[in-house]
Formats: sequence, structure tokens, C-alpha cells
Amino acid sequence: MRSTHKPSVNGVALDETVPGDIAAGARKNLRRDVESKLAESSRKFLKAFGDVDKQLDTLQEHIASMRTQCDEAQTQLEETSEACKALLDRAGSLREERQAIATRQSIVTLFLGQFTLSEDEKEAILSRDVPVGKRFFAAMDKAEKIRDDCRVLMTGEDGPTKAGLEILSATSGYLEQAHQKIFRWCRSEIWQMGRDNQLDVGPSMREAIRRLRQHPELFTEALAYLSQTRQATLLGAFTDALTRGGPGGLPRPIELHAHDPLRYVGDMLAWVHQAIAAEREFLESLFGVRGDMRMVGSVRTFGGSVEEEWMGELMDTAVGKLCTPLKVRVQQTVRSQESSITSYKIANLLQFYMLTMQRTIGEAAQLSKTLKELTDMAYQIFFDAIEAQGRSLLRVAPDLDDISVSPPLVVLDHAQVLREIMVVYESSLAGDETEEQLLSGFRDILDKMVDPAIESCLTSSEEKQKFRPDWDKPVFVLNTLAYLQSVIEPFRFTAEKQGVIQGLIEAKILQLTEEHYKNILTEAGLAEPIAAIGTRQPNEPLSRLPAAQPAQLQAALRQFSLWLSGPGVVESPRLSQLTVQSLAARVQQASLERLAGAYRRLCEEVRKPKNKYEAAATLLGSERPFGQVHLLWQIFGLQHSGEDEYAGKIG
Amino acid sequence: MPVDDYEADATELMETYDFLMKYIVIGEAGTGKSCLLHQFTHNSFKDHSQHTIGVEFSSRTIKLGEKRIKLQLWDTAGQERFRSVTRSYYRGAAGAILVYDITSRASFTNLAQWLADARALASPYLVTVLVGNKSDREEDREVEWAEASKWAAENDLHFLEASSLSGDNVEAPFLLCTRAILLSIESGILDPEKAGSGVSYGDRALRRVNSSSRLSFGSLSGNRRKSGTIKLRLPGPGKKCC
Repeated sequence: MRSTHKPSVNGVALDETVPGDIAAGARKNLRRDVESKLAESSRKFLKAFGDVDKQLDTLQEHIASMRTQCDEAQTQLEETSEACKALLDRAGSLREERQAIATRQSIVTLFLGQFTLSEDEKEAILSRDVPVGKRFFAAMDKAEKIRDDCRVLMTGEDGPTKAGLEILSATSGYLEQAHQKIFRWCRSEIWQMGRDNQLDVGPSMREAIRRLRQHPELFTEALAYLSQTRQATLLGAFTDALTRGGPGGLPRPIELHAHDPLRYVGDMLAWVHQAIAAEREFLESLFGVRGDMRMVGSVRTFGGSVEEEWMGELMDTAVGKLCTPLKVRVQQTVRSQESSITSYKIANLLQFYMLTMQRTIGEAAQLSKTLKELTDMAYQIFFDAIEAQGRSLLRVAPDLDDISVSPPLVVLDHAQVLREIMVVYESSLAGDETEEQLLSGFRDILDKMVDPAIESCLTSSEEKQKFRPDWDKPVFVLNTLAYLQSVIEPFRFTAEKQGVIQGLIEAKILQLTEEHYKNILTEAGLAEPIAAIGTRQPNEPLSRLPAAQPAQLQAALRQFSLWLSGPGVVESPRLSQLTVQSLAARVQQASLERLAGAYRRLCEEVRKPKNKYEAAATLLGSERPFGQVHLLWQIFGLQHSGEDEYAGKIG
Repeated sequence: MPVDDYEADATELMETYDFLMKYIVIGEAGTGKSCLLHQFTHNSFKDHSQHTIGVEFSSRTIKLGEKRIKLQLWDTAGQERFRSVTRSYYRGAAGAILVYDITSRASFTNLAQWLADARALASPYLVTVLVGNKSDREEDREVEWAEASKWAAENDLHFLEASSLSGDNVEAPFLLCTRAILLSIESGILDPEKAGSGVSYGDRALRRVNSSSRLSFGSLSGNRRKSGTIKLRLPGPGKKCC
């Protein structure tokens, strides 16, 4: 390869003079050439390396400067790093702080949410534009809940905290405002109710009243306003009913019937009664008290709940204003009655309503008191009337020209009034009275009406007989007493008085029987012999007495026999004057019994040997009833009494 | 007046009403007036019932169509001796429930007198419903349905038979009466605004009156009937006893 490259490498045209010279010379030269070349290259290298060295020096300088700078940077960096560390620490603590604050903030927000009212709620409570209704009540509920929670919290800690107190005072302010708002609203609702005369209570109203109860002052004031309004409304309505009647005058105004006292008084009281029922229902729904399903008229038990107490009071005052117009009218009506029957009916009607009202609104209510007063007055007027009537009965002079023995007209009239009064009394009974209640309810009236009648009958007949001795006073008295008895007899509550009159009647019957017996004894001719039996000396024989000598006795027995076939046995003109024929029969029978007894005694006496009648049997057997007492009984049509000696024979 | 949710919800529970009506219950003693009323207000039979003394009161709210009506019911004593007291209660009644006993001829024959009294003393627009009570005692019947129905038609009364013992048809007379009165309010014959009509508006109705000028009775108008005899067998609505 070298040989091929030599010519091109040297670039010299080679002329070889001596063959091989050139090659020898070339060999000699090559070394030199190579050496020079090497030196050359080395020089070049040296030179190049010198450059490099120079460059390296520069580089070294650079590096040194860099190093310095780096060191500086390092120092700076270290310084910065030092400074940053504090900052980072602060940042970290700040971040933590921020976290803590955020937590607290959310707690506070929650707390505030829990313990303060939102703007919306405040508006609901304070604004006039938000009606009393659901939203308002909800805000109130919130405020109350806050207060409750707050109190619970405060009891848990050591005494009240400031925040707690503030919350309480803030909420109490709102609640106060809320109650004020309710109060104003209630007032306007009540006013509205009064104007519309409607008694429906909406749920908001009921709720409002319920809430207002927590505020006693406002509540009392609202109730006072309510009762005032109801008073005025009821009074207005009552006046309308009295004077104007319904729409178009129908139903007619109550006063139109003022001429009919019972209807007038009854209509007024019924109106009041109905107003009370409506009022009661209104109040029940206002206080949210469910009706006790009680029927009005049945007894109400008082002294229950506090609502019951309020309702009682409110009803009392609501109808209290009606007392005056009612009283004036009733008094006027009662006073203007002339008939004691009507007076009695009114008094009864008043009493009925008095009891009804006492059961409905209590005895202490004004209306009940007024009715009590009116009832007492009506009864007083009635009693005055019947007393006056009784006195006038006593003042009536007996009619001397009237020879009749029937009860006088004044007594008939009087008894007629009594009868009607008894009918009224009977109709006023409920049917559950005790016997004593039954009697005592009418005892006074009976005394005041029957006693003067009896007294007038007795005194005037006494007086009359003085002027007319022939007038049959006992029959008259019996007739009058029996008449009075017949009037009161149908009514069971007159039992006592019936007993009294019956006693009088019995006494008069005894008296009359005595008289009648004497009369018929005389008529029958037995009077003288019987008198002789009664008057003779113990040892004196009867036949020796003038009135009982056989001839006289014979005549007497004949007269008796004649009398037996006459009408005197069955009837008596005197007794027929008795209006009650059963009494006449009783007197007649009793008298005949005594007559028969007298005849028997006569026979016995005649038959006794000591009376020294010759042929006593003949004497007695000569005339009817032939000394046979049982025959006389038969003639008289009497039943034999048990001890009769002939009873066995006849039977 | 804005009606918010609170009120609207509560209305269903509370006893608000559109109208308040006053009724009297009349008829001879012992026909079961108090028992009928007791059955109507308590949904039960009143055992061992005593004679009513004077007048007694009870009330109940009923629902008819869209309307709620509160009835103030005055139960009167049938006995003659209380007549002077009970008559005073006819004043201003909007409706009368005239009761007789189908097992007592006498209680039916006296009806004319009762009706005359009621018409003379009560509001001129008095709606009267004749009720033959004790319909459960078919075997003792003395008054035929047809006869009573005829009499009722002649006297322009509504008529039906009911049983205060079983409660059968007990609500019907009151509903019938109420509907007739609502119709006369609707047609303008009766004005609840006036005192003495026996009818007045309740809170609910007032609100409606304020919002719209005319009262609407919904389906009621469609069922309008001439007064006469209707034999009703209304299914008793649920217990809505006041």
C-alpha cells in the first residue's frame, strides 16, 4: 500500500538516476521525512495544545468564577431557606387557625340558627302585613322553643350566662310583640264577629286564644273586650227581637204579644235561653273545648276545668245586660195581672226558667239571680192576690134571704180559681218529686185559699142562723165542706188538706146524726119512753113512769108502727138537702141503727120483770115489729151488726 | 282575607261551617223525638229515655255537598202541659222535624194541630219534614205509609219513616230539611243575613262571600225537586258527630 501511495504522497516526479539510488535515497529520506513530519505534527500538536491550554485556563477562570458565584448562591439559598422556614411555620399555624375559626363559625351559625329568629320569622311576628296564621304561629313556636332550649342550657351550666340572658330577653321581646299582635288581631276579629252577628270560630282564632292564655293580662283584656262586645251584640239582638222581629217582620216582634202575658214572658225567656245555648257553643269552640254532649236542661256540673270557669263567667256577663230590659218587662207584666190564675202561671213559668238557667249558667249568674228575684216577686204577687181574695171572702155578708143550703156563689167562684191553680201546679210537676216536696209545694196555697173558705162558711153560717133560726145550718156547712173536698180531692198533693176537711166533715156528720136521730125518735113516738128509761130512778119500775105506762107505751108503739110504714124510714126531707147523697145515706143509716138500738133497749126493759109490765109480750107483740129487733133491721134494710142477738136466726 | 295553609289544613279538622241553622223537633209525647235526636247526634239509641222537660238543646255539624252546616237542634217536650213553654221556641226556626209514631194512631191524628202551631209561630219559610218514627215495629203499625205520605203531600211536607232504635233513616230528615233550606237560600227566598230567619252564615261561607259575589251550591241545583214526598234511604255518612 505504501508504494502505491508514495508518488501521490510526495508529489515529486521521481527520476531515478541510479536504480536503487532513488529507493536508497528514499529510504534515507523517509526516515527524515517521517521524523520531520512527526516533528511537524508534534509542533502542530503543541501549538494546538497551547491553544487548548489557553482555552482551559480561560475555562478554569470561568469555572472559578462560577464556583464563587455558586458559593454565593449557595449562601444566599441557605439564607433564603432559613427565612422561608419561619414563614412556612406561620402559614401552617395560620391555616390551622383558619380551620378552627371556620369550625367555630359554623358552630356559631348553628347556634344562632338555633337561638335566634330569622329575618323571615321576625317579620312574621312584627309585620302587620303577615296575618295571624300558620307562618306567624310557626315563628312564635320557634321563639318559644328557643326560650325552652336556652333555659335547659342555662340550668346545665354554672348559672345563667350572659348570652343566655340576652337570648331570653330578645325572645321575650318578640313574644311580647307577638302576643300584642294576637291581641290586636283578636280584638278586630271579635269586633267583626259582633258586627256580623255570627258566632263561628275559625282555627286561627281558636289558636290565637289558646296562645294568648300565656299572657294573662292581654288574655284577660281580650276576654273583657269579648264579653263587652257580646253584651252589646246580644242586647241589640234582644231589642230587635222584642221590637222589630225577624226579616220582614216575621217572626213578629215579641212585644206584639205583650197583651198575652204568658206568651210574652215565655217568648222573652225562650229567646234568652236560646241565646245562651248559642253563646255556650261559641265559647266551647273558642276555647277548643269539645261539647260534653250534654243536653241543655240536664244538670251541668260546675267547678270543672278553668275553661269551664271562664265560659261560665263569659256567659254570665254576656247575658247579664239582658237582665234589665227583661226585668222591666216581666215586672210590668206580672204587676198588671188581675187574675190570680195568670199570676200563678207566670210565676210557674218564671220558676221553670229560673231552674233551667241555674242549671245552664249557675245560680250565681246575674240572670239566675234576676230570675230568682222575678220568680219570688211573681209568687209574692200571687200570694198577695189569693190572700186578698181570701180576705174578701170573709168580708162577704151572708145573704139572709137565701134559704138554700148549697154552697154560696162566692165559694163556688173561689173554688173554681183554686181548681185552676191546682191544675197549673199539677202540670208543673216533673214527676220525680218526693211526697213531701209534692205537698209542701202547694201547702201554702191551699192554706191561703181553703182556710178562708172554711172559715167564711163557718162564721157566716153562724151569723145567718142568728137571724134565721129555721135555716138549716149544719146541712149548709156540710154541703160547703163536701163541695170544697170534692174540688181538691182529684189532686193527690192536697192529701193533708183533704184530711183536715174530712175531719170537719166527720164531726159535722156526727152532729147531724145526733140531731137526726133525735128527730126521728120523736117522729116515731119513741122519744118519751126512751127518755123515761134514761131518767128513771134505779129502783123505780119503768111501768110506773107516766111516759112509760102500758097505755102510753101502747100508743107510742102504735105510732112507731105507723112511722115504720111511712116514708121517714127511707128518706128525710132534711137529709135530701145534702148535696152529697152518700153523706145523707150515712146519716140516715146511723140514725136508724141508733133507733133500732133504742127499740131493742125498750123491748129489753119492758121484758124485765122488775119493770113490772103485765103481759109484756102481748104489749110488745101488739104492734109491728112485735118486739122483734131483727124484723126492725130488715124493715130498715140494715145489715146486721155482729153482736146482734138475732143474727143467727135470720141467717 | 288571605287563607294560608294553616287554616286550609285545619278546616278539615275543626268545626267550621258555612251555615248555622236552627231546627225544632216537635210532635206528641212519646213519639221518640229525643231518641231520634240522640241517635242523630250520638249515633246510638237512648235507652230508658225520660219525658223531656220543657226544651233541650243539642247540635251537630253535617256535610251536604260542598257545604258544612251546623244544626242547632231544639228538642221539645210533647206533653200538653209544656206546650206554653215549647211554643216560644218555634220563633225563628228554619226547620221543623215533625215526629209521629207509626204505632200510635193518636200521634198521627194530632199532626194537623202541631203543623198549624209551627206554621203560625215559626218563620214563614219554615221547612217541615214529617217523620214516622219507630219503623222497626212494623208488627204494631197503626199508620200506613201511604196514608201518611198522602197527608204530607196535601200539606206540602217532606215525608219519610225512620227508626230511632235501629238508627235507620235517622239522618235523612235532617239532610232533607237542610237541603230544602239551602235551596231556598240559593234561590234568594231566604236571606241568612237577616236576624230571625233561623239561618246565618258561618265563618267559611263569609270568606267565600267576600271572595266571590255569588254562592255556588254545586250539584245541589241539579237535584232540585218540588217539595213533596220523597222516600229516602240515604246511606249514613261516617260519624261526623259534633
